Amino acid sequence: MSWRDDFWGGYTASKPIKVEGGIKVKSKRGSIGDTWWSKRWVSVLESFGWSNRLERGRRYARGGQVIGFKLTPGKVTASVQGSTPKPYSVLIEVKSFSEAEWEKAIEEMSQKAVFAAKLLAGEMPQNIEEAFKSAGMSLFPVSSKDIKTDCSCPDSANPCKHIAAVYYILAEEFDRDPFMLFNMRGRTKEEITFSLRKKRVGDEKLQEPQEVKVHIHEEVPLSADGFWDGGELESFSVNITPPDVPAAIIKRLGTPQFWDSKEDFNKKMEKYYKEISKKAIETAYGDGKKKK
Amino acid sequence: MIVLHGTWKPPSEIQERGNFFLWGESSTSQQIKRKSRQATPRPHPFQASQDEISRIITSFNSGDIKKKMLPDRTFILLPSYPDAPQASPDLIQEDEFDNGMEKVVLSTWQLDGLSLPPEEAVALLTSLSGFWTGIDGFAIGSDFRFWSKVSKFAMELLSKQHFVPGIVASENKGQKFARWQYVLNDQDDLMRMSMLAGGMPPICRSLAQNKLSHPEAYLSDFLNTAVDGSIRRWMPLSELSSKTTGLSSAWLESLSTGAPIKTHANGLKSLSEGIRSWSQPIREIQTSGFRTCFRLEAPLPEADDSWSLRYFLQAADDPSLLVPAGDVWKESGDSLQFLTRKFDHPQEKLLADLGKASKLFIPIEDSLNSATPVVAHLDTKHAYAFLKEAAPLLSESGFGVLIPPWWNKGAAKLGIKLNVKPKPEPKTGRGIFTFDSIVNYNWQLALGGEAISEEEFRHLSSLKEPLVRIRGQWVELKKDEIDTAIKFFKSKNSGEMKLGEAMRLGMVHGESQTGLPITGFEAQGKLSSLFDQLSGKKKIKEQQQPESFEGELRPYQVKGFSWLAFLRQYGIGACLADDMGLGKTIQLLALLLKEKEDGNVGPVLLICPTSVVGNWQREAKKFAPSLRVLVHHGLSRKKKEFLDEVMNYDLVISTYALTYRDEDILEKVEWNGVVLDEAQNIKNSSTKQSQAVRRIKADYRVALTGTPVENRLSELWSIMEFLNPGYLGSAAGFRRAFALPIERYNDKDAGMQLRSFIAPFVLRRLKTDSTIIKDLPDKIELKEHCNLTKEQATLYEAVVNDMLRKINETEGIERKGAILSALVRLKQVCNHPAQFLDDGSSLPDRSGKLNRITEMLEEVLAEGDSALIFTQFARMGNMLKTHFQKVFGQEVMFLHGGVNQKQRDQMVMRFSEKKGPRIFILSLKAGGVGLNLTRANHVFHFDRWWNPAVENQATDRAFRIGQTKNVQVHKFICDGTLEDRIDEMIESKKELAENIIGTGEGWLTEMTTEQLKDLFTLRREAVMNE
Repeated sequence: MSWRDDFWGGYTASKPIKVEGGIKVKSKRGSIGDTWWSKRWVSVLESFGWSNRLERGRRYARGGQVIGFKLTPGKVTASVQGSTPKPYSVLIEVKSFSEAEWEKAIEEMSQKAVFAAKLLAGEMPQNIEEAFKSAGMSLFPVSSKDIKTDCSCPDSANPCKHIAAVYYILAEEFDRDPFMLFNMRGRTKEEITFSLRKKRVGDEKLQEPQEVKVHIHEEVPLSADGFWDGGELESFSVNITPPDVPAAIIKRLGTPQFWDSKEDFNKKMEKYYKEISKKAIETAYGDGKKKK
Repeated sequence: MIVLHGTWKPPSEIQERGNFFLWGESSTSQQIKRKSRQATPRPHPFQASQDEISRIITSFNSGDIKKKMLPDRTFILLPSYPDAPQASPDLIQEDEFDNGMEKVVLSTWQLDGLSLPPEEAVALLTSLSGFWTGIDGFAIGSDFRFWSKVSKFAMELLSKQHFVPGIVASENKGQKFARWQYVLNDQDDLMRMSMLAGGMPPICRSLAQNKLSHPEAYLSDFLNTAVDGSIRRWMPLSELSSKTTGLSSAWLESLSTGAPIKTHANGLKSLSEGIRSWSQPIREIQTSGFRTCFRLEAPLPEADDSWSLRYFLQAADDPSLLVPAGDVWKESGDSLQFLTRKFDHPQEKLLADLGKASKLFIPIEDSLNSATPVVAHLDTKHAYAFLKEAAPLLSESGFGVLIPPWWNKGAAKLGIKLNVKPKPEPKTGRGIFTFDSIVNYNWQLALGGEAISEEEFRHLSSLKEPLVRIRGQWVELKKDEIDTAIKFFKSKNSGEMKLGEAMRLGMVHGESQTGLPITGFEAQGKLSSLFDQLSGKKKIKEQQQPESFEGELRPYQVKGFSWLAFLRQYGIGACLADDMGLGKTIQLLALLLKEKEDGNVGPVLLICPTSVVGNWQREAKKFAPSLRVLVHHGLSRKKKEFLDEVMNYDLVISTYALTYRDEDILEKVEWNGVVLDEAQNIKNSSTKQSQAVRRIKADYRVALTGTPVENRLSELWSIMEFLNPGYLGSAAGFRRAFALPIERYNDKDAGMQLRSFIAPFVLRRLKTDSTIIKDLPDKIELKEHCNLTKEQATLYEAVVNDMLRKINETEGIERKGAILSALVRLKQVCNHPAQFLDDGSSLPDRSGKLNRITEMLEEVLAEGDSALIFTQFARMGNMLKTHFQKVFGQEVMFLHGGVNQKQRDQMVMRFSEKKGPRIFILSLKAGGVGLNLTRANHVFHFDRWWNPAVENQATDRAFRIGQTKNVQVHKFICDGTLEDRIDEMIESKKELAENIIGTGEGWLTEMTTEQLKDLFTLRREAVMNE
């Protein structure tokens, strides 16, 4: 793809083919990435002198041109829709840490529960970089040489806009789950939590991670025995009161990401929740008749 | 009779709503047997008609619900015999057909019932009182009751805002719908959900066997539909939907209309993913069986400032099950076994939760610098911040939070204490206080219930700590409260009030006019012992049994009488609510005698139901012969002379009806006391009768009742309003604060508060109390004297006259025949005119005996007891059965000569079962031998055999080896009739009694005409006149 296409702002014949149901980043304008660690990811990439090229990929990422995407330890594969009917295949490999390096990093992280706690709570600990530094490592790539990429598009520049688009999708992936950053460096979430647990317990004979069994409600077949009787419910008691904190659930969950209205979601819901509470209490203490 | 059933019928497609299906079983419906054998499934043979169901529903919900119910047909699986389904246990069937030997299997039946939209059903089910029992020929099935509990739970979730907008997908059409869904937000929600799922009677899901076979899934489906339906019913569309386009609007529109979300496929996808990830934090709490719990521990008394916030894993459905974080860190496996529970990934769960919680409370984050954190150490400021802000936040976020108990009690706060003391010169003539006495009071500032001086307070507030320790107790000191307290010290804090008002404030601990809550109460001087005794801190002094009392009071009766005397002394109304048979009557008579001995003159007015006037008269004569008793009752009662004569009596017995009718004369008397017997008669506080009763002025008031007043709240209010007016506040306020929360929602706190509230004024002892049992003989024989109604009296006299005429004209066998036939007919008249006339006429209010036994059985049932009723007459037995079933809405069995051995065994077995029928009528002949019926602790002899041996043999059905309860034997006697006369003879002439035993009733025929005339002739004064 030549620079001329870009000059025409993408409205030329080589405009990318629209994708139904592609992976779109959620930010509409400005930078991509909500958290400090995804922002850091983007800024690290920018620091490699890629700012201009990344910019093009950002539009792709917003337009949903990334069709599929998979992150396995140390490796990202993606398929990105460009202007030709067949999507391009993108491969990104970030340099994995060695076993020995990981061992050091885990040792470091096991010193303080805050690392595992924050990570499991969906947050990259603020001091993670220090921890890696004490192990003589860096969580984020240090130079462009740490990243190897390949794209099936004819553009020889690196990163091309397809690769750049995937970088942004990755940024949001890190937002969603900070463990993905480790994954990119060669270790899965399960492996890391397991090795941390091992350190914590100090037991070498630890069982390997197992599949978590999903709890299913037990099926109770109907039977003629005790057909009319239920269990003891004499002590079942109900307390009709308004909540201590109004619309606590809404406050806790915040505004959903898809919310695209100008109205304040929380305010709207809070008003609504209060009204429902009021009606419920009226009904609960009413005599079953509707008031005119 | 009809048993009302109803259950949730889930929709077959998600876009439909499902409905609540109502149907009924009828005991009178035609049995369609084998008729439509070929049609499968067959119609349910004894289902109630749609009209009948509709009539029942509208009877307890008059609004516009009728229009909302639509005819509906469905199929149900029921335990069945080959030809018919088994009836539910609540159904009383007219013909008890014998299916005992046939095998019961589940088969499908077709039902025609009514369906109700879920939101209407929830409102209907919510309004059902938990104490509701069958009346007017219909009962409620276990399924209907169960869904009523679920609906109330839904109403709580709605009122507490435990719901969230969600999204559901239709299985085949690719459509999605925005729906409101309930959220189980805390351990209490989870616990009750699992209670409900475990307590669901199988009948509740027999409509949908193939769809949702898990009780929990079924319950959850109904709850979600109820929550969604109710919210959309309450909120107009305009409130939620907005006119702009975009995903938000499409979502909101579906949320308010229930229609599918209108947007393109991508929009749907990002919406459903968006909603899922948005509400993920809530789902986590719902699905995992355990959570992290924070426990705040106060410093030890000697330690200064070191609070601990400890970490645990807690079972979601059992908050007492706590695994300390230290143990969790030792578990290397993927799951942790603790007692009976298994926790999956305990370390990771605990860590993730600590990670989340660390954002809400910084000291938690600091503690995470350790490799295996188990505690956060807090100073007092942080501890306060935790109690104040973090604890509710963590709790709302689904974490477990355990804080020291003093925090939530009033004791931990700044409040004021009410001190009362008697005025220097009491104004009442007898030198003691009454409810209306004026007392001195003053308010004192209190911290944690301890009074503190202004100086002390200024010192504490100068510490500028929000939590201060005073005398070893931690107390919150809020800024605005400090200001209020400073104002308090500047205002006038003493004065005079009525003792009744002081009692109310002292017991209720509400808000005072100073803006500070009342957290303490102290009475000084003579008042202190009064309050200590009222609150049970100090024992009430036991009185000697009055000298003029004939007989001996049992130890608990002495206590009861002393209690009555104690409250009487202060003019405080007392409600003696002992179980039936414990002798409320004689305890009151003892009080009246004490009054007389103490020189408290003036008559006492006793108001009772007509049916027990005679009984009172007799009991007074027997136990308190020194009391001068006037019966103000009947057509011949004096009116003009009444006021002149009344002061010559100690006790005036009258009836509820007359209280209103003769109010003009009764109100002119200065009564020493007024007593209500069977006080539940004033349960409807708005009737003229109840109002008239309340208007009577007297020095003291007593109410006697045998029904458990604490469960019958409108009755309780009405009785308390009579005893201590104003104490429980207005009827409407009481209904809102106590009656509805307790009756509808089984609200434990409200129940407990009310109990402690009324405790000083209500004494209720059960015959099963261990202290009572040892005072009671194993068998108590009681005679119930009843009056004849006017109708009975007229019939009675006609029979006697007819007999006298006949025996004058005849002799020998014929004469004997006339006597014996008259004897039988007179017994019939005493039982009930309808038995004598055999005309199938109506039963209520025509027989003194029937009225009385109905009243007594109501108490028996209310106390959870069972009864045997003996009669000589099969016809009477049938009439009683029909009458009781109708009045009490539950099955009554009747064992008579026509019952075969197998049915007989079945009845005996059913009577012994815990959930079996509780009233068992037996004909004296059929029930004579070989039966063991020890479940019964009441035996009623409705008519008399005049042969103690036969009666005793019957009584022994209940009083056998294996009987663990005391048995009360009630023998019914119509006053003024031959029943009365023969009873007297048996009592007074032992010799004759022995004769009778030997010869049955034959001896009567040997009497002379004069003797017979004397024996049979009705004493007119004993007739009920109203």
